[in-house]
Amino acid sequence: MTPLGKGRLMRLLFVLSVLALSGCGEPPPKPLTAEQSAALSPADPRLAKLYAGSCKACHTVKDSLAPLTGDRTLWDPRWAQGEAGLLAASIQGKKGMPAGGQCFECNPDDLKALIRFMAGREGEK
Amino acid sequence: MSTRRKVLLGGAGLLALGAGGLAGRRAWLSREPELPPPLDAQGRVLWSNWAGNEQAYPAVRAAPASEAELVALLPGAKAPIRPVGSGHSFTALVPTDGTLFSLDRLEGLVRHAANSATVRAGTKLSALGPLLAGIGQEMRNLPDINKQTLAGALATGTHGTGKGIGALHAGVRAMRLVLPGGEIAECSASERPELFHAARVGLGAFGVISEVTLENHPLQRVKKVVSLVDTEQMLADWPKLAEQHRNAEFLVLPFTGKSALITHDPTSEPVRPRPPDQDADTLMDLKRLRDLFEFTPALRKRAAQAAMVDIPPEIAVDEGWKLLSNERPVRFKEMEYHLPLGQQVAALREVIRRIERDAPGVFFPIEARIIAPDDAWLSPFYQRESGSIAVHAWYKEDHDWMFSLIEPVLREAGGRPHWGKLHSLGAAELKALYPMFGEAAEVRRAIDPQGRMLNPFVKRILG
Repeated sequence: MTPLGKGRLMRLLFVLSVLALSGCGEPPPKPLTAEQSAALSPADPRLAKLYAGSCKACHTVKDSLAPLTGDRTLWDPRWAQGEAGLLAASIQGKKGMPAGGQCFECNPDDLKALIRFMAGREGEK
Repeated sequence: MSTRRKVLLGGAGLLALGAGGLAGRRAWLSREPELPPPLDAQGRVLWSNWAGNEQAYPAVRAAPASEAELVALLPGAKAPIRPVGSGHSFTALVPTDGTLFSLDRLEGLVRHAANSATVRAGTKLSALGPLLAGIGQEMRNLPDINKQTLAGALATGTHGTGKGIGALHAGVRAMRLVLPGGEIAECSASERPELFHAARVGLGAFGVISEVTLENHPLQRVKKVVSLVDTEQMLADWPKLAEQHRNAEFLVLPFTGKSALITHDPTSEPVRPRPPDQDADTLMDLKRLRDLFEFTPALRKRAAQAAMVDIPPEIAVDEGWKLLSNERPVRFKEMEYHLPLGQQVAALREVIRRIERDAPGVFFPIEARIIAPDDAWLSPFYQRESGSIAVHAWYKEDHDWMFSLIEPVLREAGGRPHWGKLHSLGAAELKALYPMFGEAAEVRRAIDPQGRMLNPFVKRILG
């Protein structure tokens, strides 16, 4: 391989790696305002009720210091820690968040679905 | 190396070791509490209160969506049956290995009339504000936190502050309850008055409340002012300030000589939305001061006063439901007693003195409020104008000092404990504080002779 050919190959690999890191062209997440966050609701009506009755009270209010619903800039680092850890934290409570997110009728599957929704991952497999 | 240099280096080393040791000690004392497992051996899911100091693994979680569902569920529910609001109580009112009744689905407005509204009991105070604003009304007052359900707030005697303004239950005109046997009971001052008087502050032991009729005020704009004042001046001026403002309270910042005075007054000034919350940052600044100067109180006070010089008052103008309550992202544990008003300032002075002498680890403010008397039999404000004193500890840190140092002062002053906050009293001591305690106990026994709604803690306090 000529030096020129190797340089082209390196450039191609660089472009491919950038594309891979950015989710194959998916734009990087942008922060949401509290109003944009408050306008979001789970698609499932039952989940929407659970969300409105518990999580929403803190996760759409900046002063609560909870990550805003749908704000991937805040949720992606948490999501990267794994869904199991997020579920355990939601049941046991963590830092400012009380146990169960104060949803006392929620079962673990509900909490999982609520976390997915708030993390902006609703509908992802 | 010269002898002098060796001594200097040795001294610096010792200082570094000491500082490191103190930092390590504080890190250990402020470590995250050990968390119970999310599921127990039987696969039951953990329930814990907001502060994280009470836990349970209920066998059954029920969340009736209507009063009819509640009627169908309650008679056959596995005991102990405990209704839960938002879990904001610091005492063990809720834990059960039987049935946990969540009221979350019983929410919303039922009907309204001039200056009154009937709402479902599971409605959260944070949702009730905008809901009532939509019909031109507001609650007569609000507590510091608004995440509680209406039923939970009423059951524990939750209150705000203000000369001549009663706690939340003082604004209740009528209630519907589902009794443990499944009977629906309506009560008011004229209909089943004994149930009304006993169950308004009922600790979730008189059945499950399904609806509440509240006497409200017309929606009003208020001006909130938060200002820093010298604690000595604050204590001297408190009786006058409490008279001058519709709602007045203050937070003593221990080890600083300063207090934060918070007032709300009706106004017609244009709206000035509340600024982003700074309470959590201030609290963490107080913690940092504690961490650095825990064992040098004079330096702690000097550093605090230097940091607090020239802080301007914080002002906001808006509807009351947007200003009276606050976000509290820093979790804590709390003890609060309600004293005869005339005892409040002297007791508060003693509380400050004891904390500053014997509890250098405390960094949370000490809160003082004022509440009008009412006629609910188990109300801490029963026939008594009250001044409250509340002390707090970070959820990660020890709170034993509240029992050893503070509770004796508050009891000596004739205080009645807040039902949802830390205290050590049992039925015998409480009976001496509540003139109608025996009558309330009789009503409870009549509607729940088998004690199906009592967990061990509620048994201890109600007898």
